[in-house]
Amino acid sequence: MEDFSKKYKLSDEELFAPVNHDDLASEKITAPRYSYWKSVFRVFFRNRVNIVVLTLLAILIAFAFIYPVIIHYDPAVNPYLNLTDMGAQHLNPKKAIEHFGFNIKWIFGTSGQGASTFDSIWHGSRLSIMLAVICAAINMSIGIILGAIWGFSRKVDIVMNEVYNVLGNIPMTLLISVMVLVFSPSFWTLVFAMTVIGWLGMAYYIRTRVIIIRDHEYNLASRCLGTNIFKIALKNILPFMTSVIVLEIAAAIPGYISYEVFLSYIGLGINEATLGRLIQEAQNAMSTPGWGWEFWSPVAVASVITVVLYVVGQNLGDASDPRTHM
Amino acid sequence: MGKYVLKRLLHGLVSIILVVFIVMVLVYGLMNRDLVFAKDGNFGKQTNNNKRTYMLQQWELFGYLDYVPYADYMLMLRQNGEIDEETRAEAVKLGRAEDGSNDSELSAQYIKQFTDYYESKGYTVERLGAVVSRKKVAAGGQPALFAYKDNSLLERLWKYFTGLIDVDNIHTVPEYNDIGKRGLTFTLYDPLYGGEKFSPAIIGNGTKHKYLLYFDSHFPYIHQNLATINLGVSFSVSRGVDVFTTMTQSQGSWVQSVITYPTGLTELSADDLHTATYIEGSRDTSEMLQARFADDYTNILTVRGSYSRLGYSFVIGIIASIVTYILGLPLGVLMARFKEGILDKAGTVYIMFISAVPSLAYIFLFRGIGSAMGMPTMFDMDNVTKAMYILPIVSLALPSVASMMKWMRRYMIDQMNSDYVKFARSGGMSETEIFFKHVMKVAAIPIVQGIPGTILFAMTGALITERVYLVPGAGGLLIDAINQYDNSVIVGVTLFYAVLSVLSLILGDVLMATVDPRISFTEKAR
Repeated sequence: MEDFSKKYKLSDEELFAPVNHDDLASEKITAPRYSYWKSVFRVFFRNRVNIVVLTLLAILIAFAFIYPVIIHYDPAVNPYLNLTDMGAQHLNPKKAIEHFGFNIKWIFGTSGQGASTFDSIWHGSRLSIMLAVICAAINMSIGIILGAIWGFSRKVDIVMNEVYNVLGNIPMTLLISVMVLVFSPSFWTLVFAMTVIGWLGMAYYIRTRVIIIRDHEYNLASRCLGTNIFKIALKNILPFMTSVIVLEIAAAIPGYISYEVFLSYIGLGINEATLGRLIQEAQNAMSTPGWGWEFWSPVAVASVITVVLYVVGQNLGDASDPRTHM
Repeated sequence: MGKYVLKRLLHGLVSIILVVFIVMVLVYGLMNRDLVFAKDGNFGKQTNNNKRTYMLQQWELFGYLDYVPYADYMLMLRQNGEIDEETRAEAVKLGRAEDGSNDSELSAQYIKQFTDYYESKGYTVERLGAVVSRKKVAAGGQPALFAYKDNSLLERLWKYFTGLIDVDNIHTVPEYNDIGKRGLTFTLYDPLYGGEKFSPAIIGNGTKHKYLLYFDSHFPYIHQNLATINLGVSFSVSRGVDVFTTMTQSQGSWVQSVITYPTGLTELSADDLHTATYIEGSRDTSEMLQARFADDYTNILTVRGSYSRLGYSFVIGIIASIVTYILGLPLGVLMARFKEGILDKAGTVYIMFISAVPSLAYIFLFRGIGSAMGMPTMFDMDNVTKAMYILPIVSLALPSVASMMKWMRRYMIDQMNSDYVKFARSGGMSETEIFFKHVMKVAAIPIVQGIPGTILFAMTGALITERVYLVPGAGGLLIDAINQYDNSVIVGVTLFYAVLSVLSLILGDVLMATVDPRISFTEKAR
């Protein structure tokens, strides 16, 4: 020290300044930055198919949610606009365009009441997609939370297994029809009926997954070190389940759309013009030659919507598995 | 093992009872009971007081309440021997006034007795005066007196389960009927076959069924009526018939043969005399019956040419399941074996199509393709050809093939990454050897668990498939019942489904434990 101050003719204070110990800086690890969700989307968009499917989904959603607003679609008015025009009923697209002149609304022909099938389909799709998303959101949230508790607590497990055995045996169609009869056959009644016990399946699935991961050694170690159960659930187990949950949600949304179609077909639907309702109303027309468009176009649109949602969900689920991020 | 299965069965029984209870709450508790008249053609024809009594009668049939008209009470007193016929005939007459001011003295005495008796038991006693127009009693306006009490849910549940299995005995026919010596006769030579052919039978007198045990030429060849399952009487789906019978009774057109009736009359008829049940006083009311029958066992089912509802569903369901296993398992295995190959990719697309597209859409698609290929798309019970079964079976099998492929592939791939496979590989076994000798055995275990369920649930039928192809199966029974507010069918069918589901879970576990020596349900082995 003496040498330095002599050599440079500087005092100790000038040569050396005390550095504060920075706790934060010492915690930093120099490693490449990894953001989970960024990686998920990077992997997701690496697959070109996903861009195509996502574009398709965007178009479908635009038609379902924006198109009816633009044309001011009113379910109480629009289906009956051409009721008095006898020549407008049950037209296939070619005849409809001949009859009305070209407009995008005639590309699927007309219904038995002379209304544009195209317009009704998008209004119906909006209702069906909304129904599916709302039901999926409710059932998945309840299912995940209750499933986690069910999986963690052995006491809850005993009770819930019995509940599952009993409630799982109640026919869903019966429950829905009773709800529809007791309340009114409206959108929210159906949401209620489908979510009363609808979360049970998801909860059971999550419970099984939690039980598998719960007793792994690293969780045991974590618990021995005193980590509380919420932290274990959130930090140790949830990351393992993200891709599984995404996959389940992905399968659930098209599942609910299909289920609504099924319910309407067997006559247990609601009194709003959902996709299922359109299909059910058109099923008699199907047997008449030349009237098939009324039936097949809502069926085709429903299928395209469900397939697109399903593919997006599956691939998002695959991408959200960290093992694919390498 | 036995103890474990017994425990599971008891557990299952409790679940079943709870399920039935909840369903009863749903249909009897929550639904408006006036709905039962919504599809009832007779209801509109009832007028005045008859409307009220008709409603109560129907509600009693549906199991909502217990309804006792005054006349029935008097008949009961007569049958118990408390009063003679003359008193009954006189006392049963009601005065026109609602307050009872113009009843005869005798009537008034018994009306009071009736009222006191039922009010003390918690019933509501109601009296309706005659509806008079122009000094005459209007149509359906006869005075009425009756008592009724709502059944509580627990009471109903208790009655339902205690009455579930009906054991026939020689005191089933009411004691005041003089039917000769009551008893069971065992014979080695069934009198219906002329009394010479060897065919053992048990014949009862005083029982509900005349033939309690007999052999005939129909599957399963030996039949019994000693204990019958009583799931509740259907109201609108098939009027007046028990739910279980609705499901198991053969359908279609009659099959006639030459029949010798007990009186010796020989005739071409579709009657199945083995099914005779007792109907009080029926023989006296009809000359036709007098010519044929020697006693009051006159209620007879007919022989029909086609399967029952359950039968059709089961035939179609079981063939579809077999096709599913035959196609789905090898395809799933091959997909896993040649992962990322062409078959795997094509299979994945197919699985995706089936999982995503609404079932309605692909069933109609299969139907469209089938009819374009010239296959029959309508099921006709009276001229059944083998070709009619093809499309329903295909429509049922193809979707389940997809899920079978999906799971088999999943299980195989999961096993491929496990340690024992790596060990086998390092030991020098070829991939194909590992695959078929080790991996497949382990991967098949979860599939084995599902087999009993597949077989049992083949009976319940597939709703949309049966509807689209007009198959007269059991799949639509629950929905029909719901649409027609047929409460007892709803409860009966739910019970049936619940029993199947409990049984298939238990049988699946037992089968799995038999196949896989590592799984054991006994406490010790754990």
